[in-house]
Amino acid sequence: MHRVMALVRARALTAASYRVQMSLSVVSLLVGIVPLYFITGALQPVMADTIRAEGGHYFGFVLVGTVAFYFLSAAVNLLPGEIGSDLRTGTLEAVLSTPTRLAELVSGMIGFGLLWTTLRALIVLTVGWLLGVQVAWSQLPAAAVVIGLLILAYLPFGLMGSASLIAFRTAGPLARGILFASTLLGGIYYPTRVIPSWIQDLSSLIPLTYGLQALRRILLEGASLVAVAEELGILVVFVVVLMSGGALALWLALRYARRAGTLAQY
Amino acid sequence: MSGAAAVAVAPAEVEGDGGSRQAEPVLRVEGLTKRFPVRRGWFEMLRRPWQREYVPALQGVSFDVAAGEFFGLLGPNGAGKTTLFKILSTLILPDAGTAVVAGNDIVRRPAAVRQVLTPVIADERSLYWRLSARENLRLFAALHGLRGREAETRVEELLRVVALADTGEKMVGSFSSGMKQRLLIARALLSRPRILLLDEPTRSLDPLSARDFRTFLREEVAGHQGCSVILATHSAEEALNLCDRLAVLRKGELLAIGAAEELARRYGEERYRLWLRDDELWRHVLARQTTGGVRLIESRSRDGGSKENVYQREDGWVRVEVEIRGGRERTAALLTELNSAGVVVAGLERMDLTLAELLDRILYRSAGGGDA
Repeated sequence: MHRVMALVRARALTAASYRVQMSLSVVSLLVGIVPLYFITGALQPVMADTIRAEGGHYFGFVLVGTVAFYFLSAAVNLLPGEIGSDLRTGTLEAVLSTPTRLAELVSGMIGFGLLWTTLRALIVLTVGWLLGVQVAWSQLPAAAVVIGLLILAYLPFGLMGSASLIAFRTAGPLARGILFASTLLGGIYYPTRVIPSWIQDLSSLIPLTYGLQALRRILLEGASLVAVAEELGILVVFVVVLMSGGALALWLALRYARRAGTLAQY
Repeated sequence: MSGAAAVAVAPAEVEGDGGSRQAEPVLRVEGLTKRFPVRRGWFEMLRRPWQREYVPALQGVSFDVAAGEFFGLLGPNGAGKTTLFKILSTLILPDAGTAVVAGNDIVRRPAAVRQVLTPVIADERSLYWRLSARENLRLFAALHGLRGREAETRVEELLRVVALADTGEKMVGSFSSGMKQRLLIARALLSRPRILLLDEPTRSLDPLSARDFRTFLREEVAGHQGCSVILATHSAEEALNLCDRLAVLRKGELLAIGAAEELARRYGEERYRLWLRDDELWRHVLARQTTGGVRLIESRSRDGGSKENVYQREDGWVRVEVEIRGGRERTAALLTELNSAGVVVAGLERMDLTLAELLDRILYRSAGGGDA
């Protein structure tokens, strides 16, 4: 844990040294919510019936979807991004030459990104609340559990992308494919039940589908973890299956790169 | 410093001393072998998709390093020095052979190896440029398992040792190359390693900084810290002044190993400088001697790698360099032959070899030029 915290701290200090970039990131977040507010407001009469089960307020519906997307995007993109950056600068070789374990390295590399994403999500939720979304703040710990499981369900794709980067020097189309499929089928902008039936079955293979259902019920309706136990159970299965595959991919890639002599070589 | 200069465990085919070390080595490398696949073009890959070609990077390299020893690795570019360092750092897996660092096998116990062996990555970019020197060291202190007061004390101590205490809060990106090199060294020393790997550490330093750095290595790293240092270098000064022993690699093969003076003696004792009357007669006479173990040296390498003509002319005399194999008897015979042929000899002196010349000699002999 000590090593993880040190890596998180180093990345936080590095990010903080780019003051303008950090400030612009927050400003763009705030600016982005405004059009979302007006567009969802315009679509409210059309969507009200469709999303009645999720609170019936379309701005809140999309806001929670957007927040969830921040996290799964971070889970998929952060690690390949950090590894790619460290490969280019040469810091990866230095870190790999220390006794740091792989799990510590991965956690430390994505830790700050996830904290920053959490801050952005809280800002978005707060602005949404100020604009009229009924957020069940008391259920934030329960929401954190769901978001944690969502991150763990999507992190394996980040591990696979990193494995591809380490072995073949490209993260490949995996991240974009997963994010595209999740956006289309996971229910960020519309509930999955309105998707045509022939692809609706596919949405049941997307972890975000279950994560968003649980998250909306918790944050918009104040449901407890027990009330969304079924969705949580399915997410746990996703986590166990996908994490095994992601960890194996990364382990194999590191072994391949050590054999080929390309580890830490850009 | 240990005076571990004299004895080395060397593979049978290496021209080196073959005794056993008195102290238990902190590093033992045996038969280390690595080859890399040759990168092929698209056409070749499509034409013969299953055929792989390999280039040897290390070929059965064996040596050992004693505690506190300064061990130099020499060789032209592509000799295998960096591959050897990366294997010892556990970043590359060997195809065959073993390396044991302070009792830990590099393949079976890589984490334990990384506790006691630290490579100094010469690339300045391996530092976090947006962090201060102090923060860089704090990060790596934590990664090496140092905590709290112990970590802070060590960081401050090393900042003082590398003379960066006053600039510890400055962002590393604003440092000069010399300051970055010193910080890289401080980072490597954080965990008090038993072995330090240095890959051309002074290549981006000015001569004064390089001299200070060498003093620092000798006095602080090897002296006070008692660290064994393996140094890959092209610098004659570093190799001859710092290293207890030198090993010469070429195309992954260990060609020679031993103390610098010993190698110089072994490979350079037959080099002489002659002052002759410059009437061109000498050239014909010396040219006739080539079958008798005498070779006229036409040019030699500078330390930078370029060649320079060795002849020096002065007031009707010419200074030439010759290699005479066959000891004093053959040297005396040559002088007699020169005199008989009418070549006037004004002086004869034995020469010391520069590092570049020593390397040239070792590489030349290993390429089959031993009888020239």
